[in-house]
Amino acid sequence: MKFMANLLDKMRPAFEKGRFLGPMKPLFDAIDAFMFNPLSQAKLAPHARDPLDVKRYMSMVIIALLPATFASFYFFGWRMLPMIMVSYMAGGAVEVIFAVIRKEEINEGFLVTGLLFPLILPPGLPLWMVALGVVVGVLVGKEIFGGTGRNLFNPALVGRCFLLLSYGGEMGGAWIEPGGGFFGRLFQYETVAVDAVSQATPLYKAAADSTDLTPMTQLLFGNTLGCGGETSAIALIGGGVMLLMFGVASWRVVVSTIVAFGVMTVVLVDGDNVAEQIVFHYLAGGFLLGTFFMTTDPVSGPITSGGKFVYGALIGIATALIRLKTPLFEGMMFAILAGNMFAPIIDEVFIALHVRGLRNEK
Amino acid sequence: MKPRGGYNVNLIGAPSLDVEKLAPPEMLCIPLHGRKLEFSELCVAEGDTVTPGQALATAPLSFSVPLVAPCGGTVSLSKLDGHIVMENLNCPAQPASDPETPAHVPYDSGKAAEKRRKLVDLGAWRYVSNARTQRVADPQGVPDAVIVSTVHLEPFVAHGGAICKNKVGELVRGLEHLQLLLEYQEIHLVLPDVENEFARQIQDRIRGHAWLKLSQVPLQMRYPFDNQTLLARHLGLFTEGDETVWFIPAAGIIAFDKALTYSRTCTTNIISLAGPMVEEPKHIEVQIGHPIDRILSGRLTRDEDIRVINGGILTGTHVTDTQTGIDAECSGLTVLETPVVREMFGWLRPGGDRRSFSKCFTSFFKGSFEENLSTSLRGEVRPCVVCGQCVSVCPAGIMPNAIHKYLYSDELEQAQRLRTDLCVECGLCSYVCPSKIDLYDELVRAKVQIAEELGEPDQPQESEEDQQVTEESNKEEQA
Repeated sequence: MKFMANLLDKMRPAFEKGRFLGPMKPLFDAIDAFMFNPLSQAKLAPHARDPLDVKRYMSMVIIALLPATFASFYFFGWRMLPMIMVSYMAGGAVEVIFAVIRKEEINEGFLVTGLLFPLILPPGLPLWMVALGVVVGVLVGKEIFGGTGRNLFNPALVGRCFLLLSYGGEMGGAWIEPGGGFFGRLFQYETVAVDAVSQATPLYKAAADSTDLTPMTQLLFGNTLGCGGETSAIALIGGGVMLLMFGVASWRVVVSTIVAFGVMTVVLVDGDNVAEQIVFHYLAGGFLLGTFFMTTDPVSGPITSGGKFVYGALIGIATALIRLKTPLFEGMMFAILAGNMFAPIIDEVFIALHVRGLRNEK
Repeated sequence: MKPRGGYNVNLIGAPSLDVEKLAPPEMLCIPLHGRKLEFSELCVAEGDTVTPGQALATAPLSFSVPLVAPCGGTVSLSKLDGHIVMENLNCPAQPASDPETPAHVPYDSGKAAEKRRKLVDLGAWRYVSNARTQRVADPQGVPDAVIVSTVHLEPFVAHGGAICKNKVGELVRGLEHLQLLLEYQEIHLVLPDVENEFARQIQDRIRGHAWLKLSQVPLQMRYPFDNQTLLARHLGLFTEGDETVWFIPAAGIIAFDKALTYSRTCTTNIISLAGPMVEEPKHIEVQIGHPIDRILSGRLTRDEDIRVINGGILTGTHVTDTQTGIDAECSGLTVLETPVVREMFGWLRPGGDRRSFSKCFTSFFKGSFEENLSTSLRGEVRPCVVCGQCVSVCPAGIMPNAIHKYLYSDELEQAQRLRTDLCVECGLCSYVCPSKIDLYDELVRAKVQIAEELGEPDQPQESEEDQQVTEESNKEEQA
């Protein structure tokens, strides 16, 4: 510990302005602050500050994602590990390059994007595609808008959207048969995608035939085909509840998404197994992952409390519409991106209402 | 208005209610520039000899409230920039209170104007502020209501309990004096508990002698509900937008009694000396101008790596030069340590030892406990991540994060539309911000800028906007 601190202290002068490594100062600062709390002080009142910082705030999301990450290792083998690493490295590189060019600090928001991104990809996807996707996601989804805090769209979803539109075939054919038993695929490095005949995610099967629903226990546990982190409903609900408990995710968005999606599904589904279908749609596909971890991204969502309800409802309704009334059988991604698009205008309305609510205060 | 937001920062080193009276020092350094009072018009010249009670300077922007000499002595203006330094002091010994002082004030309403003049001249008027602007009230003005408060919640400023200790008589007489200045306007007395011994004593003594409204307003003891603007809003005194409400802290009422019953000058302050770095946190009674380093010497646990704050940790100002003296508005000195040790992986620790407004630390399960805070920023400055902490802590009900966004893009009109004027300057938004954005400073500056550049918002425009909003919200509902 002392050794690390001394080492960093010795290296610091090399990153001063004008020195050879000067431009890499943001990277050094990020590593330095990652290891040891900075000594910076509050210059202006208040003279003491709350212990919460952005690092802690973002790490709460990562903690909440851990159950789903572990589930992805269990079901799809430790191929997930290189995917996560590639995602962190490629996306991190973009983040560092932009920080260096802008002479700004490296933002922690990327830590979440880097983990979320591989979890919303088919687990058999080639690694170069993971890298490409995350680079596009971070670059187009975040950096060109000005970096963390200024992005309009969820960067992970922008990357996934790009991959889906550009490499639809690969994205739809890179599923891995989930493992089972006590160890699952924890000790396997699975690259072989399942054969074309059995390549059907629960939602794909349900879209073809509304009576062919994957059993609920399987959806809860997670041994179905699907993206790395989206299959295990239990892990996602556990993580989502954690996130709500930490107060990092807004319950308003979560509740309104769930309610609106349920209501819309009731309206849209037909057949005599309506109740079963609703439960199925809640648990299958990316709904839970999206609801708990994507819609609740505070930056790309609205900032007003009322706006959060509308935003969630919009996403829930759009998801149900896309899933049930279009040839696309999974709708969460497009619904959230559409929601992101409407968030500023929703805010406009609710900020105006908020101001109206204050009109009697003098 | 419903109380909302607020948060108690629970700092160790709360001052005990003991009040130590400090002997006058050999020299006084009286600051001319305070937070609200700017004594920019000097009444004395270099080398003048003044008598106790003489006006040293006046504050032209605050109705010419004078800065009263606490002691006699020789004046020097050049020794310390922005200060009046007084040497060769000759401080009058404060006589013990006259045993024949009547318990009540004789009724003589005709002399209200004369009394107000006396309060100004003897230095007691500086306590009376306009609850809306939080600045000194007009001594000639007529308020619509008066709030007298004994509650001070910021860590740490002088505690009402220490200021009023054994001073029920003075407080009651002061209230009676106050009432004789008024024309039957309501006086609202704010007490931490309306049923305790102290409140009962005041009620018993004052019955039949003054009109005092002791209504019970359920108000939690949560910072910053003691704020004068918020109190006026909570008590429903601001309804039209043009009411004048006076706010007088308990120290001011005691000063009223001192000035009007005994005709003595009010040049001492009871201040708290507290914080984690103070050996024995307590209250002290000092002359205005008492050099801060003399007050602190021998009372701190260490002399280096500390920050001395004039006022509380949330809204106080950093005392960079401890050679200066206590200013007229000072209500406490808080001493914090500055961080020296870098903690490894501090952000990863469970955090049972650090209290937070958020729920991201295990301390959430422990309830409230006193903790040692340093001046550390506890994080790095980042762009706003719209976490909403500032909105949920804001006692004024405004959205600091949205205002920050507009101020960042220089849209002052939008900041005005979002009611930056409602900010009560409590500092909590900056305190809780995980991105460590100085929202408090931004809001305070924006308020001034809006008042200077934009003035009052146009009424008709606002109503038009309202109409638009209704239409928009209707559309939203239909959608």
